[in-house]
Amino acid sequence: MAGPSWDTSRYLTLFGGEATEHLEALGKDVVALERGATVALVDSMFRHAHSVKGMASSMAFEGTAKLAHLLEDLLGTLRADVARADAAVADVILQTVDALGLHVKAAVASEPLPDHGALVTKLSELNAALAGKPPPVAPSAPTPTPVSQPEPARPVAAPGPSADASAPPRFSLKLKINPASNQPGVRGFLAYKRLSTLGNVFDLKPPLDDVKAGRVPQGTITLELESDQTEEAITRTMRTVADVELESISLLVKAAPPPPPSSESDPNRVVGQEPARTIRVRTEVMDQFLDQAGELLLATSRVRELTRSVPQAQRPALDEAVNRLHLLVKGLHDKVMEARMTPIAVITDRLPRAARDIARRRNREVELIITGEDIELDRAIVDELADPVLHLLRNAIDHGLETPEERKAGNKPPRGKVTIAVRRQRDRVVFELSDDGRGVDVERVKALVVERGLLTADHLQTLTERETLMLLCLPGFSTARDITDISGRGVGLDAVRRAVDQVGGTLEIETTPGRGTTFRLSLPLTVAVVNLLLVGVGDEVYGLPIGKVGGVVETARERLSMSQNAPVLQFGQSVLPVHELSALLEVPPDVQPPALVPFVVVDGDDGRLALAVDRLLGQREVVLKGLSKPLDLVAGLAGVTILGNGQPVFILDVARLVTA
Amino acid sequence: MRHVLFRLEKDRYALPLSAIREVVVAPESFTRVPRSPKAMKGVMNLRGRVVPVVDLRELLEVGPGPVGGPGRVVLLDRGRRELGLLISEVDGIESLEKIGPPAPRASLAVKGLARLGAIPVTVLDPDALDATVARAFTTK
Amino acid sequence: MAKKVLVVDDSVFMRDIIKDIFAAGGFTVVGEAGNGVEAVEKYKELKPDLVTMDLVMPYRNGIDATREILRGDNKALVVMCSALGQETMVMEAIEAGAVDFIVKPPRAEDVLAVVKKVLGEA
Repeated sequence: MAGPSWDTSRYLTLFGGEATEHLEALGKDVVALERGATVALVDSMFRHAHSVKGMASSMAFEGTAKLAHLLEDLLGTLRADVARADAAVADVILQTVDALGLHVKAAVASEPLPDHGALVTKLSELNAALAGKPPPVAPSAPTPTPVSQPEPARPVAAPGPSADASAPPRFSLKLKINPASNQPGVRGFLAYKRLSTLGNVFDLKPPLDDVKAGRVPQGTITLELESDQTEEAITRTMRTVADVELESISLLVKAAPPPPPSSESDPNRVVGQEPARTIRVRTEVMDQFLDQAGELLLATSRVRELTRSVPQAQRPALDEAVNRLHLLVKGLHDKVMEARMTPIAVITDRLPRAARDIARRRNREVELIITGEDIELDRAIVDELADPVLHLLRNAIDHGLETPEERKAGNKPPRGKVTIAVRRQRDRVVFELSDDGRGVDVERVKALVVERGLLTADHLQTLTERETLMLLCLPGFSTARDITDISGRGVGLDAVRRAVDQVGGTLEIETTPGRGTTFRLSLPLTVAVVNLLLVGVGDEVYGLPIGKVGGVVETARERLSMSQNAPVLQFGQSVLPVHELSALLEVPPDVQPPALVPFVVVDGDDGRLALAVDRLLGQREVVLKGLSKPLDLVAGLAGVTILGNGQPVFILDVARLVTA
Repeated sequence: MRHVLFRLEKDRYALPLSAIREVVVAPESFTRVPRSPKAMKGVMNLRGRVVPVVDLRELLEVGPGPVGGPGRVVLLDRGRRELGLLISEVDGIESLEKIGPPAPRASLAVKGLARLGAIPVTVLDPDALDATVARAFTTK
Repeated sequence: MAKKVLVVDDSVFMRDIIKDIFAAGGFTVVGEAGNGVEAVEKYKELKPDLVTMDLVMPYRNGIDATREILRGDNKALVVMCSALGQETMVMEAIEAGAVDFIVKPPRAEDVLAVVKKVLGEA
């Protein structure tokens, strides 16, 4: 391998520091390994060894890289059967880690690297024994080169160019992989993939499996491409693939016999490698399906609106037809929604490993129990929740759980428990993440909120315990004493709350001092269809998600009470701050405001509040559309929809509307 | 490169043809976007899609006066979304090859000046236009 | 205008090497990320012209991150960084939509050649 082409000395300190970190982590993992081996643990060790190998080879410390590589191999073998990681194996791993440590030290001091020939042999032998293979006689060659074979004769019934005049043109291509390329298989595969984006590939030689394995005699690949693209466009695309040259391209004449019906069984046919029972659909296409089904729904309601102007005599037949159309469209929409359902396991599958990583870095011991991960939600919701859920887990381990020593002192088992329970509750999904840690210190939260000037002490007095806990989700709040790299990075609880709001869910926090904390997310199954309360302000119309509306009170403005010079509304047992929606949205209010003003009670970030509007326009089930740039920059808008009369209407995010 | 030529009142502008999805007649009214900058005309319903439309005159800060007549909306192709620009009238498609530097103190969305015969044409940069809109929102 | 690059690798050391290569090659490194989760966030924030993505990383590996980035922007150009011996993973990444790959240890001329190809500059 060629040496590095830069001055390595300036990276030396960095190399030393980072390699040492990885080796220390590896050492810790070995200790954990002796207590009980898991795939996740071996994975982590593999990653550290891999990193050290990569760094060492970048610095041209070949001996170090070799040692790390052997360790990586051993761990790779171990991964397949972690039960074989006994004390003897752990011993060899630890020796290797120590030896690598010596290498790094010597390297940083610019001293010659120590020789560990005996260890190299020991590692190879151990790996071979574990893998059940005899040790290699010589260092293995990079890629097995097959004995050169004569080109297979072209099958007589090969699917030639289609005689069907409507089929796209077919090109014959010859590619050549650069002989100097060190991964010819991947290069070939990349070229194949790139061409597949332009059309259908036929008659690939060598077959795809051989290409992927790097079995490409003389580096030459031939294939036929059925594509609507011009020859020039294909050439241009191939030019963006490094190390693969398009040697020739020619348009095939449409004169050959039609493809045989048995083309399915043709081994050279590489199109549609998936068995036919399930098909893969690009998520983008699924999104388009949903968009279009949603637009069909909207179009149907537009038709229904238009029928109102039709003379009474013709109404019944027309109504029936429209109703039938609506049912069909709704059915189609439901089917599309169903196809988008994704199990929550997509998110939770990666959590055990993340939990271990976080726990190790914070010297915690944690057991993660997940139930109900096969419950399905709309893909958009699952996507939106991936990062927030990871944050909640980090939070639980980092802030919720005590250290093993603290736990022992408190008569708890040293290993903390984090439970994730997912369950269906009528038309919603409840996602609960609980820890059995120290619980949230509510008094400390209050103190911090005041200290950071987020709320006044007076305001705090009026909050219920539930509302006080929600202060954890205020932007700029963090109970961590310092910003750690584990919880301080990325999303905070405010972002978690935001994401949950975004998909139309709610977040609740419960805590018991000394017993632990639970975060409960209540989520809708789907995002696309929402129930709105339509309100009028001035001559504009807005939608409020029904899920956020607690009630409506109609009263005269003069009858509102005042508190600290601001109007408040009496609602049941509580007193709510009043906001003028016209002011929040910068709408000129009605010149003649109604005598009785409708006040809509909604959930905000700090509890409920009342919004003064001009008119209530009724409830409507609508298809929610997300906001694209630049509309997503407006604080307080959650989405947009189109009413039956064709008018676009914005849906409000009340919490952000009053805070931002 | 082929450009779409259009007018804001009497001034002539151009955008690369490749950046434009279509041109439509402006609707009678737009739905106002609350809390948005002055240049944001509103959103329109374009065959079931909700498209944000910017008043190009306001965005480029080229003097007062509304766009006369119903106007047209030029739809910029921004990948999976589109951005509408409210203008006066489309003149046609012309090939503009030589684009000189923009006038001093021109908007950042201006790529440069070209000439069509004796008529000066301000050539706009679609990416910079998009960025200018976003900036108007964040600095509002 | 210099093209903007986002460098993703869990090793600071490796990131520095790659950053230096880009700087010398006339690119602007607009950001870096140390894991897949961060990579996705940074991508959304910085909208780089190109991403170099490590395969093996904590939290979310490079393949998942690539998939996620492309879900948000199907025109994203992601180039994988891999070591020899990771062919299967690289192919999985290409399947997921990565446009090319470079092999670690990265050599300046290889990296720049691949990147310029991908950006259509060569």
